[in-house]
Amino acid sequence: MYLRSINLCRHYKRGTYIVKALDDVSAEAHRGEFLSIVGSSGSGKTTLLNLLAGLDTPTSGVVEFNGASLTGMSRRERSAYRAHKVGMVFQSFNLISHYTALQNVETALLFNDTSPKQRKMLAASMLEQLGLADRLTHRPADLSGGEQQRVALARAIVKKPEILFADEPTGNLDFENTSQIISLLKSLNSDGLTIVLVTHNLEMANTHSHRIIKMRWGKISEEDDMHSHEGTKQ
Amino acid sequence: MTVRDLIAVSTGNMWRMKFRAMLTMTGVLIAIAAFVSMISFGAGNQQYIEDQFNKLGLFSTLQVYPKEREKENSNEPDTVVFPPLDKAALERFTAIPGVNLVYPYDAFSVKVQYGDSLVDSKGQALPTAATRTKLFSVLEAGTGFESDSSKQAIISSELMKELGFDTARSAIGKRIVVSVRVSTIDSGLAHILVDKGETLLDRLKKIHFDSLFYSKYRGKVIRAEANEVARRFVNGFLNARKTVSDTLTICGVREHVRAGRLRIEPVIIPFETAALFSTSGLGESPTEIFSALTSGKLFSTPEDAGEKTFSRVTIDFDPKVPYTAIRDSVEKLGFRTFSFAAEFEEIQRAFLYFDLALGAIGLIALITASLGIVNTMVMSVNERKREIGVLKSLGADESEIRWLFLVEAGVIGVLGTSAGIAAGWGITRIVSAIAQHYMEQEGIPPIDLFALPLWLISIAMAVGVGVSLLAGFYPAARAARVDPVAALRNE
Ligand SMILES: Nc1ncnc2c1ncn2[C@@H]1O[C@H](COP(=O)(O)OP(=O)(O)O)[C@@H](O)[C@H]1O
Ligand SMILES: [Mg+2]
Repeated sequence: MYLRSINLCRHYKRGTYIVKALDDVSAEAHRGEFLSIVGSSGSGKTTLLNLLAGLDTPTSGVVEFNGASLTGMSRRERSAYRAHKVGMVFQSFNLISHYTALQNVETALLFNDTSPKQRKMLAASMLEQLGLADRLTHRPADLSGGEQQRVALARAIVKKPEILFADEPTGNLDFENTSQIISLLKSLNSDGLTIVLVTHNLEMANTHSHRIIKMRWGKISEEDDMHSHEGTKQ
Repeated sequence: MTVRDLIAVSTGNMWRMKFRAMLTMTGVLIAIAAFVSMISFGAGNQQYIEDQFNKLGLFSTLQVYPKEREKENSNEPDTVVFPPLDKAALERFTAIPGVNLVYPYDAFSVKVQYGDSLVDSKGQALPTAATRTKLFSVLEAGTGFESDSSKQAIISSELMKELGFDTARSAIGKRIVVSVRVSTIDSGLAHILVDKGETLLDRLKKIHFDSLFYSKYRGKVIRAEANEVARRFVNGFLNARKTVSDTLTICGVREHVRAGRLRIEPVIIPFETAALFSTSGLGESPTEIFSALTSGKLFSTPEDAGEKTFSRVTIDFDPKVPYTAIRDSVEKLGFRTFSFAAEFEEIQRAFLYFDLALGAIGLIALITASLGIVNTMVMSVNERKREIGVLKSLGADESEIRWLFLVEAGVIGVLGTSAGIAAGWGITRIVSAIAQHYMEQEGIPPIDLFALPLWLISIAMAVGVGVSLLAGFYPAARAARVDPVAALRNE
């Protein structure tokens, strides 16, 4: 199994009661797969994604990557997992506002032993690939939403991760930019990148992903393998 | 993340917040400047004393005094006799291993004449070898003696001016007349024979020889004559002093130096040349006569000079030998000592407390500045929570985040402290210049009251950077603990 969660729980204590953001979730993602997690707001999608990305630690349960338990790793090993294997894209872009586009992308290479010279080169060529060659020295405030998300995507994939976690990456984008980002994700996936996409747009998930996990109240409500329905999805 | 990356990212952040970083650094700067300039004052004084002591070679000298019976609560029985500080004692000192030279302090009153100027002064005899020790070789001009019997003199720069010389150089080679008034046994004896024109024969004539057979009259005459002889001797001894003069060439002019408890007389004369002055009798001081009387040495000949005792003897020893070794040997022989090395140790101890007190004031300022660092950095951490979350999502470990902020605190510390040391130094230069200006006006040779030794720079750097890092610990830990999930949540 490539990436999976077993009986994963993430509970938040809020005063006297407990918020079960994630409750006994066992799910999996296959290597090279385009997996979508859908569900309404507050259903626990982001919580699950952060746990799978090693950014959060579960209350109970296990996340396994290539057979190794993330929860059993040291904090430092989990940081290394994020630095080397994982790319992340957020709805609100989360670019560092005082850095240029280039610097933002370079930052991703600070933590995976890339030499300073390589950093600049790799970052620039990644931005060029995403059509931002003339935006290298722009700061996020001077970029459109779509451009910002492409910078964020460049930052996520410049270190050549194995999995890309995208948390509602098109939530803040218009139609045109949305389809641009989605087609970028699809082409990255066809190059072998495993993609876990969180969205509340079921139609988008239906159209583009190999498999869908539906969530409700912190639990998996339904799993949907697109191939078994129609077999036409790529 | 390499150290280079850490420094680049940290300084990049500070550069973005130039004004804020500068304000924080200014706090450190002021504190360190206060710290440095205050301790620099203590260090400067200490340095000055050490330099003076070194210049005069005082660390390798020992002053020896005869022991005196304590008037009260003396534990020693009256039969204990302290050894005299005489020639034999000097020889015993010379035999102590490590001792280079032993010479007594032997002073007398002199009159010095050059041209029309006649100056009352004091002289001291010194062996030629002693003029080659550091203590006597700090000369404005000229050299030491050629030999112990050369007709030369080293004079102080003050006396030089009193004699009417403008420069030390111009005094060298000039001949001065040095006179010593000595009371002699001869003049005392001569006065027994003749006093105020009345000879002994005149007195004898007055005696009624026939009445001498009456014992009462005889006793009266003998008492009267004995009294008269004693009166005439003492009068002659005290009042009809002989003046011994000699013409000496000025061979050196001694720099004005303050050597604490060490007295150096304005006129220094070679040992044997000085002896010529005193062969004819005793010195000026009446106590000398009485001590000579009580010790039964009044009529001793100059050849008995070995019996002469000194009030003080200087021992010059090998600087490689610890002063304590020499001191202990001398004290074992039954003498009292004074050493500048011991005194310097005490001075240093006093300065340590002085420096600590000054340092404490600087440290209080530094603690205030460090609170500024804590405040600024906590603020900065709060503002940059999202950025910290991003870095963590990109794979930054808690320790790397902590280091980012610690380096920032360290950079504030290094820059603030460096500037503070420079500013502190600047302050001391200004104060020193003002102080030296006043010293010059008061006619005091200007001294630098401040010093910036390497140890002070090192301590200031260590304290400044140390306190800054310490101040950075809490904000850095806070930054490291930022929860990335919360930080990255959509607003
Ligand atoms: N730190 C927290 N404290 C309390 N409740 C939380 C916290 N984080 C998330 N939750 C709750 O957990 C649930 C799931 O949140 P989330 O995973 O962000 O949902 P989604 O991404 O599907 O909108 C929500 O009800 C949310 O309010
Ligand atoms: Mg969410």
